Amino acid sequence: MSGGNDILDTYIYENNSLLEQLEAIILDAETADTFSQDNINEIFRIMHTIKGSSAMMEFDTLATVAHRIEDLFFIIRENSMKVVSEENKPTLFNMMFHAVDYFRTEMEKIEANQPLDKDIDSFLQNINSLISKIKGEEPAEVPKDTDSSTKGSAEAPCAGFSENPDFPYQLLIFYDEGCGMENLRAFMLLTSIKDFCNESDLLFSPQGIENDASTAEQVIDNGFLMMFKNKEDREKAIPVVRSTGSIKSYQPHDYLPPAPMVEEAPAVAASPTEAPAAPAASAPAPATPATAAAPAPAPTPVSAPSSSAQHQKESLISVHQSKLDQLSALVGEIVITESMVTGSPDLRGLKNLDAFSKSARQLRKLTDELQDISMSLRMVPIATSFQKMNRIVRDMCKKLNKRVKLTIIGEDTEVDKTIVDNIGDPIMHMIRNSMDHGIETSEEARIAAGKNPVGEIILSARDTGSEIIIEIRDDGQGVNDEAVLQKAIKNGIASPDIEYSHKEILNFLLMPGFSTNTNVTEFSGRGVGMDVVKRGVEELGGTVTISSQLGKGMTTTMKIPLTMAIMDGMEVSVGKTIFTIPIHNIRQSFKVSAAEVLHDTVNGEIIKVMDNFYPIVRAKDLYNLPHGVDNIEEGILLWLEAGDMSYCLLVDELIGEQQVVVKPLPTYVTNFDIKSRGIIGCSILGDGSISVILDAGNLSNAAFSK
Amino acid sequence: MTMSTINNNTTLSASTPAAEATHKIHKYLIFMIRDTETTYSKLGVDAEYVLEILNNYNLTYLPLMPDYVSGVFNMRGQIIPVMDLRLRLGKPATEKGLVVVLNYNGMQLGILVDAVDRMIDIDDGTITTVHSQEAQRFASGMCSIPDNSGTLIVLDCAQLFAHE
Repeated sequence: MSGGNDILDTYIYENNSLLEQLEAIILDAETADTFSQDNINEIFRIMHTIKGSSAMMEFDTLATVAHRIEDLFFIIRENSMKVVSEENKPTLFNMMFHAVDYFRTEMEKIEANQPLDKDIDSFLQNINSLISKIKGEEPAEVPKDTDSSTKGSAEAPCAGFSENPDFPYQLLIFYDEGCGMENLRAFMLLTSIKDFCNESDLLFSPQGIENDASTAEQVIDNGFLMMFKNKEDREKAIPVVRSTGSIKSYQPHDYLPPAPMVEEAPAVAASPTEAPAAPAASAPAPATPATAAAPAPAPTPVSAPSSSAQHQKESLISVHQSKLDQLSALVGEIVITESMVTGSPDLRGLKNLDAFSKSARQLRKLTDELQDISMSLRMVPIATSFQKMNRIVRDMCKKLNKRVKLTIIGEDTEVDKTIVDNIGDPIMHMIRNSMDHGIETSEEARIAAGKNPVGEIILSARDTGSEIIIEIRDDGQGVNDEAVLQKAIKNGIASPDIEYSHKEILNFLLMPGFSTNTNVTEFSGRGVGMDVVKRGVEELGGTVTISSQLGKGMTTTMKIPLTMAIMDGMEVSVGKTIFTIPIHNIRQSFKVSAAEVLHDTVNGEIIKVMDNFYPIVRAKDLYNLPHGVDNIEEGILLWLEAGDMSYCLLVDELIGEQQVVVKPLPTYVTNFDIKSRGIIGCSILGDGSISVILDAGNLSNAAFSK
Repeated sequence: MTMSTINNNTTLSASTPAAEATHKIHKYLIFMIRDTETTYSKLGVDAEYVLEILNNYNLTYLPLMPDYVSGVFNMRGQIIPVMDLRLRLGKPATEKGLVVVLNYNGMQLGILVDAVDRMIDIDDGTITTVHSQEAQRFASGMCSIPDNSGTLIVLDCAQLFAHE
């Protein structure tokens, strides 16, 4: 890959994460019905970054749009949210959502190497009209608020800033609580800043930090204040501060000569064009009294969490996923090689291997740790997939005119990156389905049913140690069995002559081409949907089940193995072939005598275990293997369970339980569609030979659907 | 015939007259498929697709595959499927053979052949296309080997990797 593309990759990656942040902020803000000062600063920062990087990458349209939004938030930042009147708020939120969507689509286009949308005029028009609307309100709004904002700005210096017109560029630093020796930490910071800043250009407070321990208290209470004569010096100091440990927050502040604010305030209104004229300046210049009219109240305590979050972010690095894949593959190889070495047949019969065994144990311990760590690298919180649903619920509430609350539980649950990447669509489908079909159309109907008029969808994730369970539960009207059955019969999925159980009827929902809603809406009911969910989850090796109670709501449960790369398996042999069966599918293994085997009418074999009858599948016959036992008494039965299927598999011998690294089947082989017949992968055994991994669910489908 | 001549291919290719002006020269790996007890066909595959030639491999039988898929083997941690080219071409399968591992469009496939001959340079212009007949399904063309040691059937990788 060329260097240029690397830059482009970084650009896309960064912008996408910024957009995610942005969307989260807007969603929160919409719930709160206002943008907090923090939010505004954050949006301003995001837009500024997007503008800068887009201009650098020569995506001019993106830079222009970002620039206008930046202008908009510049006004809001200078005048606080009060400048946006109630009736303009929804416009602002919608416009911001639109902006997020716009940037997302453009990012996708850039990624796919498609030309960008050149026609941004109407969008810009929207932003501009909003800006002028806001500005239009300014004269009415600002004087009313002058009192409070004057008060706010008057309080700002009390928060630790000093007023020295010769050193206007200030930086206030707070240390982590309880980190100790704050005065010495401040002194050390000061020393490193003096490396590039003349002592005469710098003042600091409190004094005497290097030898007076009592100053530590002052630093804790009021922060450590540095005052720079030159703006450049402060700009240089910020990275130094950021790279220093134990700093909770830092806050730049420009000392502004106390302008006669009340008189100056109308000037803002009189010449509103001035404000957007200096949008890029991150801090208003002291020479512009107009913009200084209403400086933001110093948000000292509020800014602490956001800047510590920034700190955390900087200790993270982003790595290309292919590198992680390579690493896990390599670690898998090491695990195998390790057991090849320690279990080498050459060692058999050798004595006095004490030293060797000791080193081998040490090696095993290290490889186990290495494996755990390399697995954990691929684990990410499922939050990213979940957060996107907020937006979907919000949009659909608007469109469908329903009120629904989305509750998210367990978004910190960590899962393999591949799961996060692929689970989004299935979850989205189920949420849309709940929104569209589940939650009652009218609030009256909900009230009549004794429910809260606001519908609720609960999206939860939890980790059971071996698998992750994702549940989407709504408190809507539930599934109408009769309607589903009628539809299934109409679509030829069900037969009118058979009586189906509640569970079987729910399963029809997951079949291809089934959709109970006769009206195709924008969101669901295209006749695809639930089967996509089923397929998506099954590709991750998981299962989907639906449960429903008429009038109470519906719950979709997705169970997905935590990681697909390594699993515990039971190795069994059939003739010369070695199969690996996932341990979690095995209930029991036992020998039977020929007399215990019953025969059904179509030559099937059945065995009675614990008062229940289970069909027997002979692995040798199912897979047409050339070798293997035919006499059931010589082999061993494995009682397998997958989903709601339960059956016994006849194999020759159990070899043993082992942790195996799952290797996908080669592409050439998967073309023969053996996955649907129960062969899902391979693993390499200690001696370098290959075992075939079976999937109990697909195996049973293959065996019983002939 | 053995595979011992592979090492000589560099000298051979150097002596081949260049005709780049009109056509592209490609390296081909020539291998042999036994027709009868005593006769062989020579087949060639564009060397660009050849990853490896192995005579030591441990095949694992993979169920549910057509008979010409002999199984899979472990090539340094990668699972490579192996097709018995002799059975695929409708020839009798003799005991063991060599596996030539091909990489075509990111797909890997080992083919079992009786022996590997050598690597030669062939001018694309000298290859005549053959019309598709059932028997020549996997051939994209034929040409005479520059040192007059016989006729070469050029293997069509796209057909070989295709799934029917």
